[in-house]
Amino acid sequence: MSGLVARLRLAAPAALVPLGAVVVALLVGAVVMAVAGVDPLRGYDAMVRGALSVSNIDFAVASFTAILAMSLAFAVPARMGEYNLGGDGQLALGGISAAVVALYLPAPAIVLLPVCLVAGALGGAALASVSAPLSTRAGVPVIISTLLLSAPAVALTSYLVRFPLAERGSAVPQTSRLPDAAHLPSFPGTSYTNAGLVVVVLVLLLAVRVDSRTPVGYEIRVAGANRGFAAYGGLSVPRLTLGTLVAAGAVAGLAGAIIVMSQPFRFIDDALTAPGYTFAGIAAALLAGGRPALLPLTAALFTVLTVGSAGMERDVDVPRQLGQVLQAVVILVLALRVLAARWVARRARDAVGGKV
Amino acid sequence: MTDLHPDDARPAAGADTPAAELRGITKRFGPVLAVDGVDLVLERGTVHAVVGENGAGKSTLMSVLYGLQRPDAGAVLRNGRELRLRSPLDAIDAGLGMVHQHFRLFGSLTVAENVVYRAEPGRWGVYDRRAAEQRVTELAGRFGLDVDPSARVDTLPLGVRQRVEILKALHRQAEVLILDEPTAVLTPGEVDSLFAVVRSMAAQGTTVALVTHKVREVLEATDRVTVLRDGVVSARLETARTTAGEIVEAMIGRGLKPAVNPRGAVSGEPVLEVSDLRLAAAPGAAGVHGVSLQVRPGEVVGIAGVSGNGQREVVESVLGLRSPDGGSVLLHGQDLAGLGVRERRGRGIAYVPEDRPGMGTAASLSVADNLALGHHRTPPLGSRARLSPRAVRAQAGELVRRLGVKTAGVNAPLASLSGGNAQKVVLARELHHEAPLLVVEQPTQGVDVGAGEEIHRLLLDYRARGGAVLLVSYEISELRALADRVLVMLDGVVTADLDAADATEEVLGAAMVHATRPDDGSSRAGS
Ligand SMILES: Nc1ncnc2c1ncn2[C@@H]1O[C@H](COP(=O)(O)OP(=O)(O)OP(=O)(O)O)[C@@H](O)[C@H]1O
Ligand SMILES: [Mg+2]
Repeated sequence: MSGLVARLRLAAPAALVPLGAVVVALLVGAVVMAVAGVDPLRGYDAMVRGALSVSNIDFAVASFTAILAMSLAFAVPARMGEYNLGGDGQLALGGISAAVVALYLPAPAIVLLPVCLVAGALGGAALASVSAPLSTRAGVPVIISTLLLSAPAVALTSYLVRFPLAERGSAVPQTSRLPDAAHLPSFPGTSYTNAGLVVVVLVLLLAVRVDSRTPVGYEIRVAGANRGFAAYGGLSVPRLTLGTLVAAGAVAGLAGAIIVMSQPFRFIDDALTAPGYTFAGIAAALLAGGRPALLPLTAALFTVLTVGSAGMERDVDVPRQLGQVLQAVVILVLALRVLAARWVARRARDAVGGKV
Repeated sequence: MTDLHPDDARPAAGADTPAAELRGITKRFGPVLAVDGVDLVLERGTVHAVVGENGAGKSTLMSVLYGLQRPDAGAVLRNGRELRLRSPLDAIDAGLGMVHQHFRLFGSLTVAENVVYRAEPGRWGVYDRRAAEQRVTELAGRFGLDVDPSARVDTLPLGVRQRVEILKALHRQAEVLILDEPTAVLTPGEVDSLFAVVRSMAAQGTTVALVTHKVREVLEATDRVTVLRDGVVSARLETARTTAGEIVEAMIGRGLKPAVNPRGAVSGEPVLEVSDLRLAAAPGAAGVHGVSLQVRPGEVVGIAGVSGNGQREVVESVLGLRSPDGGSVLLHGQDLAGLGVRERRGRGIAYVPEDRPGMGTAASLSVADNLALGHHRTPPLGSRARLSPRAVRAQAGELVRRLGVKTAGVNAPLASLSGGNAQKVVLARELHHEAPLLVVEQPTQGVDVGAGEEIHRLLLDYRARGGAVLLVSYEISELRALADRVLVMLDGVVTADLDAADATEEVLGAAMVHATRPDDGSSRAGS
């Protein structure tokens, strides 16, 4: 059956479907705006300006950093056919770990900055790593365990920031402001765009390299294509699962650390998960179809949708939720394509009667 | 689809109208012209062989007839009328049936449940088990197909599963039955009973198209032969008036030069030493009960026997894919106990598995990636930390050229290769290890005669360079062509250990028949 699906994939030029998904999403958005009495061109213009105009680009780049990292956190295990839906928990644990280190370790910036980033990565990796033995020993699918572990992890950070780590005298559940030594240096003339972007881009370059030019990257692809073939070749699927999940959790945790080490330099309850970086990252990874090199492009697209919809709300009075709707439409179209391929395959299989 | 004999549902046709006909079929896959203007006439009640080299277009042509592939040009006719085939469902409605090389049965259901799938007898949606089993018994009796309708499919040997596939097609009133390489996975006994069934079906008016690579089968079981070569018909022959030589000539454009097997003196310490290997029997597996064997450098040791008698377990214990309950496996005198597949391969074992789609290849990866597995951590492809995509492609190009693999390029997905060419990819990869021990199962399954001869020569060259080969095959002729010694396995024990000189077709056949129950094992568990 996989042969038939492969044939279908061959038939549709690889780039056409993702592009089509985006076009469909934009058309749906245009219809929604038209129905609401807004000129779609003005609406999209407001959306693009909301993200990319001189006054907004600074904040948009910070969001891009987070979305790019989260897309990587989904894309890495997806390469071997495992789906990490626990980005929120990993992001939050990474953020809180970095905040704790920054608040309690008196050290100069040169030491504190890398230590905080590493702490964040470890926090996210620790959570994600739990899903590996759950999958390879206990048979709990990664897609389920990551999702189920995410909510309690987020809740734990909520508790920490409300009680043991709460800033005294503040009504908002947040930590105190991190010391100056833990502030990521920002680019001249900006307040949000900082070294975090450089860190994430370096991590992405590393991921692209590992994927295409190392034995481990090759083994991950082999395990994703056929587990039986991987086992036959002597590859250790449990180890690869653990490796990809640790890497994914580390990137998500790193994103959390970068967020708390940027303006306003605190861990604020909900501030990491509310903007929907995880979801936008998953959408970007799905749109990139597992090719890490395309992630910057797709992450940029979803950044515009996420950040720009606020501008759209302000300028043309279209609710900002439209941005999320568009993301959902893209995912839906991509999913429909997989379903359509499955349906064709099923019809053929029913015709010949199941499989062993 | 509830009545067993709805002869009236089909248009009446004169006795001389062909049961099915393909006219001017052309099918392209991108740059590859797989089938080019092929005509094929299947006359009623005949068995028609479709033969040709790997990649000649046989499967593609049969897929067009069964509605799995849409042709770019040409027409499919049934009883003289043109069909519009949008999917196999249309083909089934038109009385066509196909048995694929890889069976598509529900392992956890019984034979009867599989046969009547989607045409279940019963009332108000309640499945009538007795009626189903009775129907299957009736149908099986009519065509001499020996099966137990209440057996679970996953406990059956491959040969019996294939009968279930045929029964399924017959139950849907297939009048034209397509068999794509039905014998590739069968033992000689199973092949004989398959052909008896095919002949009895033809005698009752069923038309059969049979794809095969084995000339002997063409001569034994068919009435007409169409030979394909590079997508066009190179010969149309009448079986009674042709010879093996003529068929081979039309297939590959030259005569056969069977690989000569210069048997030299085998010497030296054993490369592989298996002693008193034990594995408990499980439902569906015979287990292994004290098997010992040795393979020396420059020696090919063959294992013969009906599939499912413990060969698979022995091989997997050698490879480390499964851990035995007792006994030892030594490579160059060192015990391999506790070592995984990677370590064992690293110490010098290469392996060509029988299960090509499930184990030997990854269909969605490129030909180059399929050829790299196991070589990807060593020079020239790479090291522990580095893998050069360019070197991967270069080596793949070299191997593809050396073995003559037909492919659009090394970046093409493996799924686009024909069955025999995929088999060559597996062989190329494993031979390239130049490991001291090569374990091969069914090395020429699905491979055309010309390429089969070439593969035999490659294996013998390998042996001549001092390699040790453990060969599992269900084909007596292959064992005779390659092996220096042949062991026969039955129910998990070695029942005969013969020198090549003594392992004549008769002796081996007798050992396997003697070893086997008269019904060739439908009551025993399969692979
Ligand atoms: N889906 C596909 N995409 C691209 N090329 C294909 C596809 N299917 C078949 N081909 C090509 O078409 C040609 C004919 O293939 P086909 O499977 O019909 O050969 P075959 O005669 O059945 O060979 P074999 O004996 O090895 O099974 C081959 O060159 C093959 O690579
Ligand atoms: Mg074929």
